Amino acid sequence: MTLELLRIDDRLIHGQVVVGWGQPCQIGFFVLVDDAIAGAEWEQELYRMGTPPEIAIEFVTVDQAIERWPRYQADPRVGMLLTGDVETMDRLTAAAPALSQVTIGGLHMKPGRVQRMRFVFLSPEEEARLRAMAARGVMVVAQDVPSAPVTSLEAVLAGDGTA
Amino acid sequence: MSDLPPRLPMRTWLAVCSRLFAMQGAFNYETMIGNGIAFAMEPALRRLPGGPRGPAYAAALGRHSGYFNAHPYLASVAVGALMRAELDGVPAAQIERFRVAAAGPLGSVGDRLVWAGWLPLCSASALLAFGLGASPLLVLLLFLTLYNVMHVGLRIWGLHTGWVHGLRVARALDVWILRRAPAHMGRATALVAGVALPVAAHGIIGPGRALLGVVLGGVAVSAATVTALRGKAEGWQIAILVLLGFTLAGVVR
Amino acid sequence: MSLAELLPLSPFVVLGAVLGLDVVAFPQVMLSRPIVAATLAGALAGAPLRGLTIGVALEFFALEAMPFGSSRYPEWGSAAVVGGAVFTRASEGTAGAMTVAVLIALIAAGVGGTSMHLLRRLNAAVARRQQARIARGSGSAVTVVQLTGLTIDLIRAGAVTALVLAIAVPLYDRALAGFAFSPVASRAVVVGTAASVGLAAVWKVTQSTAGARWYLLAGLLLGFGVAWGIA
Repeated sequence: MTLELLRIDDRLIHGQVVVGWGQPCQIGFFVLVDDAIAGAEWEQELYRMGTPPEIAIEFVTVDQAIERWPRYQADPRVGMLLTGDVETMDRLTAAAPALSQVTIGGLHMKPGRVQRMRFVFLSPEEEARLRAMAARGVMVVAQDVPSAPVTSLEAVLAGDGTA
Repeated sequence: MSDLPPRLPMRTWLAVCSRLFAMQGAFNYETMIGNGIAFAMEPALRRLPGGPRGPAYAAALGRHSGYFNAHPYLASVAVGALMRAELDGVPAAQIERFRVAAAGPLGSVGDRLVWAGWLPLCSASALLAFGLGASPLLVLLLFLTLYNVMHVGLRIWGLHTGWVHGLRVARALDVWILRRAPAHMGRATALVAGVALPVAAHGIIGPGRALLGVVLGGVAVSAATVTALRGKAEGWQIAILVLLGFTLAGVVR
Repeated sequence: MSLAELLPLSPFVVLGAVLGLDVVAFPQVMLSRPIVAATLAGALAGAPLRGLTIGVALEFFALEAMPFGSSRYPEWGSAAVVGGAVFTRASEGTAGAMTVAVLIALIAAGVGGTSMHLLRRLNAAVARRQQARIARGSGSAVTVVQLTGLTIDLIRAGAVTALVLAIAVPLYDRALAGFAFSPVASRAVVVGTAASVGLAAVWKVTQSTAGARWYLLAGLLLGFGVAWGIA
């Protein structure tokens, strides 16, 4: 399996992803799963601009990601799949049981969300979805950069934002 | 959005430019640099219909002080583009989508170009200058001048580019310095740092080939150890333990 | 430490405050890099070259930190001022002087990093308190949030510098009084440790760029040759 990193991050392509993870993991391609961005050329241009030329990037809907999943798995390069929200990752993991570990890389302040970690803010609905993913056997953890410790979902949900 | 940007008085530009340098003044984990973006844009937003007491100004300020994060130097692109969009009367929903989409890429490009490229290259150049015997003043001037040519240049170029192109700025950012330069800087950093490390180390420990050989041999082995421990501990934390042990041994003996 | 002993350290506290502010908040022109900050502290003590020397050792460590977004990292501005200030207390050739000064600076960098984390939480609370006014379109509320953050950061960096100096200076003097290892050995250990972290950091940078590791290898060979030639 070469699609090793599945990340929920509302900033999608940014420094932590490209440099923080991209360098040590030698990532060769990103799969950005977002139904709206997959249909918006000008947004794709922005994300392409943020991706180093030597790393490929593909913009797909949830359905396309599921359909192309075998191709990603067969790709010899290391890949990272990104979603900007919990709901998209929940839909994806529900439809593709092979996706067994998901990392919350950054979900920031929005109305209705409560701070759980320094870089994780969650609404009650998002917490319920994460619990549902864990109940299906997906290992959900939080980690912003590779040098930071891995935090389990239980610890994230019990957090008050001080960690 | 019109093709020609509206004109802003020089004092507004000066106010926006100077505020760019304080953009991270209220950095926090909830809105990140959001308040800084609003702070930098505020002098331009006063020119919205109705002025600083009008509803357009209030709505814009509320919109831009919310969560936003990008590299602090390239955030100037967003400041310029958003100022232009607001003064052109672009619908709020479109502005909001741009804010969401621009943050990550502007962070990614800036992090690769500045934090992982230009800063270590300038740092390695200053280390090399020290190792070759440059005076403290020369080392400082070299480092600060080199670094800030890029730093100040990026902030001003970013603001101008964002202002000229507005929300269609993505294509204007497809330039060599942002797309290709980070890889060249990575190679240049590797080369200069490679030269600088032994030369600067010698500059501190002083003359003596045997000692230099022992130290550099030890460096190769322990650098591999630090690399192997990545993810478990950072180098500076490991160094605290090593130096604490050595200091205690030196004091107790 | 008594107040009379602390007073001569006050210029370093002011410098630590200003350079700590430069790390993130304003103006980020990299006066806060150890190679600059420690040299300025050395100059303040009348020994810029000694300041630069410890600044170089600390700069090796600083190569490791990349200040991405909300990630946590050591704060080098006030830490390097602390390092420069304590190192210049010892005369040239004092055994252990650089080792202990670098150790103190590393601890100060860790304390500074933690204080920045707390500052960011405080900034969030300040922003939250002004949120309603900002939503109503108050430009002055935006300015208040920004200026409060800048002011607290300045105070934070000054406090870190003062606190670490107040604790470390007496310990530094006492540690050096009976340091057992030779000046050469202690410098070798600190340079070896610092350069190891620096080399590991540069190695990390080379990971994502095709061919960069060969450039590093070529640079190391060239650098070793130059150092060997002048040693």
